[in-house]
Amino acid sequence: MDALMEPTLYTVKGMCILDNDGNRILAKYYDKNIFPTVKEQKAYEKNLFNKTHRANAEIIMLDGLTCVYKNNVDLFFYVMGSTHENELILLSVLNCLFDTVTMILKKNVEKRSVLENLDIVMLAFDEICDGGIILDADPSSVVKRVDLRNDDIPIGEQTVAQVLQSAKEQLKWSLLK
Amino acid sequence: KRDKKEEEDACGNLFQNLEKTAVLQETRIFNDTPVHAKKCTHILTKILYLINQGETLASREATNCFFATTKLFQSKDVILRRMVYLAIKELSPMSDDVIIVTSSLIKDMTGKEDLYRAPAIRALCSITDNTMLQAVERYMKQCIVDRNPSVSSGALVSSLHLSSQAGDVFKRWVNEAQEALNSDNIMVQYHALGLLYHIRKTDRLAVTKLVNKLTRQTLKSPYAVCFLIRIACKLIEEEDASSASPNSDTSLSLFEFVESCLRHKSEMVIYEAAHAIVNLKRTSPRELAPAVSILQLFCGSSKATLRFAAVRTMNKVAMLHPPAVNVCNLDLEGLIADSNRSVATLAITTLLKTGAESSVER
Repeated sequence: MDALMEPTLYTVKGMCILDNDGNRILAKYYDKNIFPTVKEQKAYEKNLFNKTHRANAEIIMLDGLTCVYKNNVDLFFYVMGSTHENELILLSVLNCLFDTVTMILKKNVEKRSVLENLDIVMLAFDEICDGGIILDADPSSVVKRVDLRNDDIPIGEQTVAQVLQSAKEQLKWSLLK
Repeated sequence: KRDKKEEEDACGNLFQNLEKTAVLQETRIFNDTPVHAKKCTHILTKILYLINQGETLASREATNCFFATTKLFQSKDVILRRMVYLAIKELSPMSDDVIIVTSSLIKDMTGKEDLYRAPAIRALCSITDNTMLQAVERYMKQCIVDRNPSVSSGALVSSLHLSSQAGDVFKRWVNEAQEALNSDNIMVQYHALGLLYHIRKTDRLAVTKLVNKLTRQTLKSPYAVCFLIRIACKLIEEEDASSASPNSDTSLSLFEFVESCLRHKSEMVIYEAAHAIVNLKRTSPRELAPAVSILQLFCGSSKATLRFAAVRTMNKVAMLHPPAVNVCNLDLEGLIADSNRSVATLAITTLLKTGAESSVER
């Protein structure tokens, strides 16, 4: 029975970001008993991707894990937990992961910007979950601790190219929405 | 147009064709003074990316890389320092003699820079073993009661990780954990409760006392309340199994607490409570009703996760008390065509247990 499970803070079994071919961009697994090797992890990710990339359905149970997910343009975000876990707690972790990444990438949530800012995204993973324990689930406080870049050049000092680039991005995003 | 596509591909391939040996060669520039913060951060990112993709480093490679990384403590760049902590955590299981960074990490965790302190604690605990625990104990106690929530949380979570390997030392941190439990920060409160329970879980009387105290005050953190519900349920089950009279006062008052959580303002807690009531052996069909009506309410939620959680729990109720779910048959029928296939499947299997012929026809 569920209720007799030992209460524990170890809630999250894994978190990952995949691209739109189901390839891993970043993934962390916190329980050594599930998928001990990277090969098994990647096989699971492929399977998960195949089952989820067309149906935008938010939650799935697969291979004994409850997995909540979300996608944006060419990225898929997943948070996994045991099937006994409170699904809403997992969802709060997923939302935190997604919102944090959105804030870090300044709304350009796509593969290219994740790779360009991979260091900050790695730090965000580390601040959201520590060894399976939810460390923080509030995106603004996570961002405050990881996004320490001081590249916010005031608009007057940006080069013409930079302004044009950001205008292009904004146009692209308004069209895609 | 084609140029644009190629350009994007080139960017997309930023990390695609990395050669392990080439990247490890690049760590040579870690020795340069002054440190090129941007370049070094990028190299560390590449190494961590390779490990994350499943590249394996031999013990010698990892150790060399680890030692090169320790040189970067000279730099004051915040992002680089954070990446160094991350690299320490990732490389330490494969490297030898990792304890050489202990003093650098202790310096950072006791220093003035708050942005260093919390991650330094977590990195330190990942390389600490039993023999070193004595040396860091004093600092850990201080950090647990630190006013900065991320420092406090970092220390509490690390203590919990350490407890799996290190015997009894952390049991002396009860007072500090108790103090952290009063924190205003929701995560600190949650982590403190987790650690306290872990320290006391073998002592049933102490756990009962803790739960009794906490059920009377209101915890701010919904995560902590969920955790408290789980402890309470465990106590109820043990109490009912051991005592002669199944409805002892303790078990009754604990059940009342769980039931009261159905009126909490956080959905997470409400669901946790409903789920707990459904799964408790002692729950009578009459006591099920409020929990079931909560689940019924969740069936109409716009969040697929909430609908999923609700039907899955109802499915369990239907196995033991089919009549209790009958009232929800209409809601369940509405979910048969749900956009989430798991929700639809669960709704159908639940209906098969409770539904009458009339509903099957519809």
